[in-house]
Amino acid sequence: MTTTDTARPLLDIRGLRKNFGAVEILKGVDLSLRPKDVVSIIGSSGSGKTTLLRCVNLLEEFQGGDIILDGETIGYKTVGGKRVRLRDAELSRQRAMTGMVFQSFNLFPHLTAAGNVMLGLRKVKKLGKEEAFVIAEKWLNRVGLGARLEHYPSQLSGGQQQRVAIARALAMNPKLVLLDEVTSALDPELVQEVLTTIKSIADDGATLLIVTHEMRFAREVSSRIVFMEQGRIAEEGTPAEIFGEGRSQRLNEFLKSSRH
Amino acid sequence: MDAFLAQLWIARWPIFDGFLMTLGISAGAIVFGTILGCIVGIQLVFAPLWLRLPFRAYVDIMRGTPLLVLILAAFYIPAVLGLSLSAAHAGTLALGLFAGAHIGELLRGSLQAIPPGQIEAGRSIGLTFPQILANVLLPQALRISLPPWINTGVELIKGSSLLSMIGVGELLLKTQEVIGRNFMTIQFYVFAGVLYLVVNIALDLLGKSMERRLGARQ
Repeated sequence: MTTTDTARPLLDIRGLRKNFGAVEILKGVDLSLRPKDVVSIIGSSGSGKTTLLRCVNLLEEFQGGDIILDGETIGYKTVGGKRVRLRDAELSRQRAMTGMVFQSFNLFPHLTAAGNVMLGLRKVKKLGKEEAFVIAEKWLNRVGLGARLEHYPSQLSGGQQQRVAIARALAMNPKLVLLDEVTSALDPELVQEVLTTIKSIADDGATLLIVTHEMRFAREVSSRIVFMEQGRIAEEGTPAEIFGEGRSQRLNEFLKSSRH
Repeated sequence: MDAFLAQLWIARWPIFDGFLMTLGISAGAIVFGTILGCIVGIQLVFAPLWLRLPFRAYVDIMRGTPLLVLILAAFYIPAVLGLSLSAAHAGTLALGLFAGAHIGELLRGSLQAIPPGQIEAGRSIGLTFPQILANVLLPQALRISLPPWINTGVELIKGSSLLSMIGVGELLLKTQEVIGRNFMTIQFYVFAGVLYLVVNIALDLLGKSMERRLGARQ
């Protein structure tokens, strides 16, 4: 972890622990992102990568540790020494600070591409219809779908749907964007258009926390890479450090096995 | 045939009144039942267990009881309790409670058919749960529910004929009264049957066209 930097971290995860019943998924994760960081989390299935992301977006409850987003502890408060989950309205407000893009897109099928992007702008940011539409148009243009504003998700390819989902997340102007295996559900020929979109967003200075199996992409886009194993961060470093010589045996094995 | 048409002309107003009563009661019951059903369906899926149980009991009792028994209950029980409901109100209440259970159950199914990713997507952009319900879940669930909802409407129109048993002047009772005067039993029963059929076919066509319109938009 970078300790020399004096800037306050945008995201600070401290000692995060999460279990499903008796199964411990996260066993004390510490991770810190500064503004404009692009951090990729790699690791085999079941290592806790996706769960970590879902905890940051408060889609999962967690049993220990703190997640501090832009100086605010999210998800829980301490009342009389007891840790309690915040109320729905409060969680919603905090969730709006992060954007999330899902593996399975999760677009709203009853709304057009523009409608999908506008919903949060209308209901959460309380913008008027026209104002929201202008922003939706801007972001759909940004992801190369300016000609698809009035298309329903079922009329779009997987890659296009995922780009709408990226526009939907970014239009809310989140402090941090979480990308959860966003190309895993795509046909191979559609992967590149989504990765290119993410790359250009990263180049624009967005702060991204990415879970991915695309090693080459992680290497290209990331400022740092985190290797997770069995609910812990096993290694962390620059792409050069992670993919270069001198890495651990376990990371070596993982990288070898994940090369398709 | 001429004799029937002559009798029909004589009886046109009572039969028309009965027809309107059938439509009015069915419409009242479907509106009441839909509002009730939305509440019930949402509770069945999202309420905590202790709150879910009474709704579950309501649905199972309504669905497990013959409609005629419900109608008689709605007619006699309020009277025993000292409430005075007209036969038409009692009948509408019974049909509405019946429809509420059916619509609640079908909405439960529709809500549960929506992938959980939809709620998560709503949450991730910062929507509160009521906002997710109103903007993400219900629009999709109501769409899935449309065909069986139309079906419930058809059931209500047919079921409203049972209200003749408690003296509500709907189409069947009016028809029976007319038959009592002219003894043209077959002709007038067939005529009433055709009226029911026409309304139900119209309702069905309406449902199909709504389905097409909604379907084309996805």
